[in-house]
Amino acid sequence: MRKYYRHAVIFFLPVAVAFTLLTVKPSAAQSPAAARTNSTPSAARPPAQASTAAAKVPTPGQFPPYKAPRTSEGTPDFNGIWQAFVTADIDIQDHDAQPGPHVDIMGAYNQWPGGQGIVEGGEIPYKPEALAKKKENAEKRTVVNITSDDHRHDTGDPELKCYMPGVPRANYMPFPFQIIQTPHVVMMAYEYARALRTIYMDANDKTIPHEPPADSWMGWSHGHFEGDTLVVDSKGFVSYSWFDRAGDYHSDALHVVERYTQVSPYHIMYEATIEDPNVFTRPWKVSFPLYRRMEKNMQLVDFNCTEFVLDLLYGQYSKK
Amino acid sequence: MRKNCGPLSSAFGIALATLLLAPVLTAQYSTNSAKSDSAQAANAAVKTGTSSVAKIRNWVMPRMADGHPDFSGYWNNLSFTPMERPAKYGNREFLTPDEMKAVFKSGVRGSYDPGAQGSEDRYGGELFNPDSVDYDATTYGLSPWQNGIKPNPRTSLVVDPPDGRIPPLTPEVKERLAAGARGGGGFPYVIDDHHGGAVVHADRARDLGQGTTCTTQSGGPPLIPAEYNSGLFIAQNPSYILIETETGSEFRIIPLDGHAHVGSGIHQWHGDSRGHWEGDTLVVETTNLRPDHTYRNGDPKTEKITEYFRRIDAETIEYKFTIDDPSTWTRPWSTIIPMNASTGPLFEYDCSENNNDAVNILAGARASEKKAAEKPAVPISQK
Repeated sequence: MRKYYRHAVIFFLPVAVAFTLLTVKPSAAQSPAAARTNSTPSAARPPAQASTAAAKVPTPGQFPPYKAPRTSEGTPDFNGIWQAFVTADIDIQDHDAQPGPHVDIMGAYNQWPGGQGIVEGGEIPYKPEALAKKKENAEKRTVVNITSDDHRHDTGDPELKCYMPGVPRANYMPFPFQIIQTPHVVMMAYEYARALRTIYMDANDKTIPHEPPADSWMGWSHGHFEGDTLVVDSKGFVSYSWFDRAGDYHSDALHVVERYTQVSPYHIMYEATIEDPNVFTRPWKVSFPLYRRMEKNMQLVDFNCTEFVLDLLYGQYSKK
Repeated sequence: MRKNCGPLSSAFGIALATLLLAPVLTAQYSTNSAKSDSAQAANAAVKTGTSSVAKIRNWVMPRMADGHPDFSGYWNNLSFTPMERPAKYGNREFLTPDEMKAVFKSGVRGSYDPGAQGSEDRYGGELFNPDSVDYDATTYGLSPWQNGIKPNPRTSLVVDPPDGRIPPLTPEVKERLAAGARGGGGFPYVIDDHHGGAVVHADRARDLGQGTTCTTQSGGPPLIPAEYNSGLFIAQNPSYILIETETGSEFRIIPLDGHAHVGSGIHQWHGDSRGHWEGDTLVVETTNLRPDHTYRNGDPKTEKITEYFRRIDAETIEYKFTIDDPSTWTRPWSTIIPMNASTGPLFEYDCSENNNDAVNILAGARASEKKAAEKPAVPISQK
């Protein structure tokens, strides 16, 4: 009996090894373990053709363990063109599809898709009087009255006027943005309204003030790395930008802490903690993935919308 | 005693600097074209506080991890040198030391006047308006000593053709301009009084031009000094260079990795630029410009703009551009505009978000029209 068993092992072992090589090894090329040991897992690795039988359909929201590629300075490499695919620019909270302004002539060109919110827990912790202001913003989101003073910001969604998007809205506008990372800074260049952020990474650079020297739309940002995560701390914002077309807003006390974590060669998990004691009762969070744009010749192109809103902004002063 | 000490030591420092730096600076300019030794010496003298002597002498080209020169940091290309050589200099390429000091001094004074730089022959061949009080440098922080500008020994920014003048326009472009093509980014809707005219055409915002409407402010190519806020920031990694211009907070992203140009159906405010290295010089070629936004009305269909960035010392990038556009100019021409090291940061320029000019100019034009339309009432006695 024992002898037969040994023969069986001798006979079947090569078969089993061959079977293992044919089936298991190709799929290992895409396993988390393989990704962990490979510091440059991007285009260099062709997809393993034989793995289809073993590959699993990914579960949304879950990524296998991953270690980001490194720059020559040894920091996680975020270079690339990224884009969110949520509908948060319309409303960062849950919302149904809705007709946009002038649907009577715009038809389906201007209808806004429904979508699930990006706010963790669903609710934004507004102070009661601030919630009233948000509602007023929403009601007057298309009321544009540009004056030669700060009252130009009293009504109207800044996006409608092609103003800079602010933070974190810039990251979920339906436009790509490019990260250019250097040893000193991380530049975030947005296609929408060509907004630009400079994230100062060198804490020892004494020429760059730690505190915001002036308020700005895109904020004053310092960054550092925590493992594979880029942490960006921003403040010094003007009070004029909104979070969405639904009138969600903040004051000039806004403080945003963002965490960009690479979770695959093609995804960044993005999280922003929003704090503003003038408007909210406590800090709250938004989160969503950013996707790497993979078109072969991908680059940003112009979206200089100012050119297209001149009559909207200044029409009341035009010659009749 | 103490009071005398400063000037004395400064004078000694300048003399020392002149001796030490003459060879460095001569070498610096020798690759460009014929040079004037006296101009080099003068340049050294004015250029140096004693503190920068060691910095310049011991300078080693900073390089990225990939071995290429590192251009990253803050720069400023404000210039007091006229684009085209004023007639009084004839064919002379370099200023004498005294002339250089005088041009610099008047430039500093004139830099309080937005509109004073970057144009030529506006004030009898110099780039300043001696009577201007437009800007108070103590208030606006735009003063030249805050941005690193140094005297430029050249008589003009144009270095080729040898006469320092932009070549004549072709007959073709004259027709194109006569036919009403607009361009240049600075369509003059109004020329204010001290600039010698009062032409107002402001029916709607578009009439105000690309600059006043904040459609575009700067960014090139080519990179031309702004009237003020000529700050530049360069971020560089092995695959990309990003150049931000403080005026307008505009940016160009220049791939260095052999990325193909976009197709001919795409037209960009700053064109579509690609960079490559020729030794230690970064060469940037640009296509896909917009027909309504080309420098000096070039024709994007035929125009080739090539920019050359070269670090020549610790405090200077020599920036040169060549424009070859046979349908606009009778020959190619080249310009050198130094970029001087500056300190950061650049500030966000919220132009459209804060555009009082557009409102006030249009509202003013409507008010003028209304006033003109109010005919005096006919006196009762004449009824």
